[in-house]
Amino acid sequence: MPRKGNKRNIVLVLAILLFSLALMTLNVKQEKGVRFLDSIAGVILSPFQNFFTQTIQSVSNSINHYFFLVDVARQNDQLKLEVQRLISEKNQLIERLASQKRLAKLMAHEDDWEKRAVVASVIGRDATQWSKVVVINKGTQNGIKDHLAVITDAGVIGQVIHAGINTSKVLLIVDGRSAVDALFQGSRASGVVVGVGEDECLMKFVPNTADVEVGDPVLSSGLGGIFPKGLIIGKVSQVFRKKQGLFQEIILIPSSDLSRLEEVLVLLP
Amino acid sequence: MYYFSQALIAIFLFSAQTTWLELFSFGGVTPDLILVWVVYCAVRCSRAGGIGAGIVLGLVQDGLSGGVLGVNTLSKGLIAYFFSTLKDKFYVEGVIPIGIFLILSSIFDGLVFYFSIGTILKGEVTSRFLYQLLPVYSIYNALIGPFMFVVLDKIGAWLQPKTPNSYMGMTR
Repeated sequence: MPRKGNKRNIVLVLAILLFSLALMTLNVKQEKGVRFLDSIAGVILSPFQNFFTQTIQSVSNSINHYFFLVDVARQNDQLKLEVQRLISEKNQLIERLASQKRLAKLMAHEDDWEKRAVVASVIGRDATQWSKVVVINKGTQNGIKDHLAVITDAGVIGQVIHAGINTSKVLLIVDGRSAVDALFQGSRASGVVVGVGEDECLMKFVPNTADVEVGDPVLSSGLGGIFPKGLIIGKVSQVFRKKQGLFQEIILIPSSDLSRLEEVLVLLP
Repeated sequence: MYYFSQALIAIFLFSAQTTWLELFSFGGVTPDLILVWVVYCAVRCSRAGGIGAGIVLGLVQDGLSGGVLGVNTLSKGLIAYFFSTLKDKFYVEGVIPIGIFLILSSIFDGLVFYFSIGTILKGEVTSRFLYQLLPVYSIYNALIGPFMFVVLDKIGAWLQPKTPNSYMGMTR
């Protein structure tokens, strides 16, 4: 009997391994059937993500603008109700104004490029701990396709890696799989900005002879065909020059705050 | 009723994981609610139910992440398999055994990602991942896990009288 149990265990483990490896292989080969699974999961969950994101924003607004007035409002019930109503109204207006300002900033950049752009809201993040991916509320219905550049008014944030019907996944520049061809604004030395799965990026392949200082802005070079030339990626925060070796090790801080993304601009081809 | 309640739990956990859980990140690390639920299913459900839940939840997590499809299916499937086998050999009640199970499963989950990004995904990952992020991730999951076990147990107990048949072969 134990032999039968062992056999069953081996079969089970092999089945899990084979199934997972088959999925990985199909995914790497970009089979449409496998991408369909992504879309289905996105379609089902996006209304809930929208709901949660909006609720969080409302709660956050209430805490920011209302919480400290509770003690004052307690003195007079009528006044409290009035204050609540006014604050709620004010919060809505502040939020609308802030959103308009952000959109205006984004749209101002749109005039600088010949490309058309779509404004999208961030509605969710990656379901796993380790990938640096955000979900936006626009998809193929809005003209979004894979490998389109995504930016904010502060600069480059990433590229679309999977465009679903009404949601898309954006790979952030801090993800370990991201690589953007870049150059320094001052010295024009070029390199490749790669993510390492943390809050910072690494700039690779910058020659030891290049003059790089902390605080130097880094721009997209336009090579690679995804990001237009001249978009700001980040600023140099640390430079390590090795005595031996061809290249410097440069750490960048992304220009956009990637942990607080709300509205983004997807640049259409 | 059982499947409906499980679907609601799944929607809630996946929505939480992809939206507001970021607010509770510590050192850039957030707990993995799905991993805790997989371990819960492995420990509380029958062997087939636990492994099935692990594979399905891993697959859905893959669909909602930007990585390669199959990485989480592999990791969660094997975690469910190991812990549904180990539960008969160890006493899994109380904060400490559950915490140890969750630390082990978190380390395994992180290592699967670490090797997959280096091989299949051809990406970059620093060594800080192994000695800083992974331990914080494991401890965070181990701290939040027992609390989630209690909540899921309560939901299970609340549903039990309404469905006399066993849930997916629950052993309790």
